[in-house]
Amino acid sequence: MGGALRVWFRSKHTLFWAIAFPILLMLLFGAIFSVNEAPSFSFYVQNQDIINGEPSQFSAMFVGMLNETGVLKVKMVDANVDIAKYIDDEGVELLLLIPEGFQQSCITQNASVVLKTVPPEVDTSAATVRGVVEQIVEIFNTAATGEQPPQIVTVQQESLVSENYRFIDFFVPGLIGMSLMTTGIFGAIGWNTRNRELGILKKLATTPLSKFEWIIGVVLFEMVMCAVSTAVILTVGVLIFNIRVLPNIYSVILIAAGAITFPGIGMVIARFVKETDSADAAANAVAFPMMFLSGSFFPLEMMPEFLREIAKVLPLTYLNNGLRDSMVYGNVSSALYNTAIVLVIGLVFIILGSLITSWREE
Amino acid sequence: MSKEAVIQVESLVKKYKDVTAVDGVSFTVNRGEVFSFVGPNGAGKTTTVEILVCLRDVTAGTAKVLGFDVASRKGQQQIRKRVGVLPQDFNTFDLLTVKENLNYYKKMYGKGMDINELIRLVDLEDKAKTLYKNLSGGLKKRLAIAIALVNDPEVVFLDEPTTGLDPKARRDVWDLIEGLRDQQKTVFLTTHYMDEAEVLSDRVVIISYGKIIADGTPSELISQYGGKTTLIVEEGGTEAYNLLQKKFPNSKLENGDVLVPINGKSDLPEAVMTLNGNKAKYAELIVRRPNLEDVFLKLTGKKIVDGELS
Repeated sequence: MGGALRVWFRSKHTLFWAIAFPILLMLLFGAIFSVNEAPSFSFYVQNQDIINGEPSQFSAMFVGMLNETGVLKVKMVDANVDIAKYIDDEGVELLLLIPEGFQQSCITQNASVVLKTVPPEVDTSAATVRGVVEQIVEIFNTAATGEQPPQIVTVQQESLVSENYRFIDFFVPGLIGMSLMTTGIFGAIGWNTRNRELGILKKLATTPLSKFEWIIGVVLFEMVMCAVSTAVILTVGVLIFNIRVLPNIYSVILIAAGAITFPGIGMVIARFVKETDSADAAANAVAFPMMFLSGSFFPLEMMPEFLREIAKVLPLTYLNNGLRDSMVYGNVSSALYNTAIVLVIGLVFIILGSLITSWREE
Repeated sequence: MSKEAVIQVESLVKKYKDVTAVDGVSFTVNRGEVFSFVGPNGAGKTTTVEILVCLRDVTAGTAKVLGFDVASRKGQQQIRKRVGVLPQDFNTFDLLTVKENLNYYKKMYGKGMDINELIRLVDLEDKAKTLYKNLSGGLKKRLAIAIALVNDPEVVFLDEPTTGLDPKARRDVWDLIEGLRDQQKTVFLTTHYMDEAEVLSDRVVIISYGKIIADGTPSELISQYGGKTTLIVEEGGTEAYNLLQKKFPNSKLENGDVLVPINGKSDLPEAVMTLNGNKAKYAELIVRRPNLEDVFLKLTGKKIVDGELS
């Protein structure tokens, strides 16, 4: 018993799983689900009801009410902007359109506003925002008529995505992102520490192979592994769940960028942890929080502000966002923006890895 | 044939924080010789090898391999191309076969020995398609040596190649090293087995606590430090001791055996005649020549048992 305890205590690996991991999970999920502050959503509004160069009185009043909720961070889109292109360019996920003639229609009691979101059944924030907008409309109706319905304004829900997607279709990009991350980080760290323990790294250091070539080799190998796991996810998705989202050229580029980034991070971590046990613990310590804080499983909007700030520095956030942009929303520019971020982070880690990795003995 | 120095080490020092692992060693290794670096664990053998194969930086002094300075970047590139190394405790990829492992390392050099020939050389033809993890300890070591030869190196560094092997496997490795000598390869061997160094080496350097305490051919060292040849009269007892003591006053009685130092050619027949002429009783007569263990004992006052000083 005493011996077992000592072994347990001295093994960094078991210490991680027994103590650090539960604490990590509690802190992580505790923080994610204990949102006291009301969530806030970036909410785009295009007011097309312009009279004499100014927003009509009714539409301006409506926008004012939206602003006062505090839940919606209203960003006005100029009336002249081509909204379809704008949605693509800016990666818009929640948008309200106040159509031309809104004020006129209010008078004839058949006005409507158009709410464009992803399907509420796949993204809870869409459902929340819809609820908020409907409440505002109700208040607006009451304020305008001074009485209960007949309603003068109704909400028309429109989907931002052209296809009829289900939850699984939104889940798959997150799953691919997560799997790229775990394959890359665990793979690179594991491969390094195993070969160090076997003496293979020492042997390779006596050959003409340079450490940079070694790092590139490991990263390329992990890229292949990433491609395999992505292919497995998509195949199972198509065969069993009949998913509709499939990678296009932009998501392939993004997947490649992710497949560079995470092994790069792994190589940097592997520099500091030499034994297999501690390497495993270190990989978990990095991978687990990233998995849950980067929007793989929960939308970032659900999380409190400080966690969202953390998410902003995690490469997986940009990978997930980019994958959804390209695979689900078809937002090319936003996907490319996220790709660029992932790629830059990846290159930084690879360069850092090759600078600090010590080929030779110390 | 004039001797060409392929390794030249001059006043080499390696310090790790407060510990001085190698403390001002100087030696030369000539082309084509099997050179042994002998000493107990922690004497500085591996540190010296790792400096010579460019795995560690030097603290002070110089070391050149094949004329290239181990401290210069360009020198290191050249050395890595031209030497073969078997690091201590080296294990290669478990899930690759013998042949696949050799091919893997050969790719690092872009040139080298024919893999099939190499497999023949280390006598692993039957195991060419066997996974590394399924080889016995001895066969693993043979593959590891083959890996050290994959680039057809001019100098081969073998860091404790027989540690942990059973006697049969050790002998097989010895045969391999003898084969390397026949091929005119320079072999830099580290070992804590004195018998190994004595059997295999053209030249031996003994290192203790980071300092070289002896340098020469095995026979030079033995004749210089090993002491005399001894006749052992097994179970001779007091009777044989008393008989021999008159003519050989330096004889000793140890655990019932009589030890008689042999100085000149006539000593041995004289001692035997003394015993047999007086019909002394004994179990067996053994002539024991001094060896490197005696040299080490003489120089340090200690023996090496399982690599450790005792």
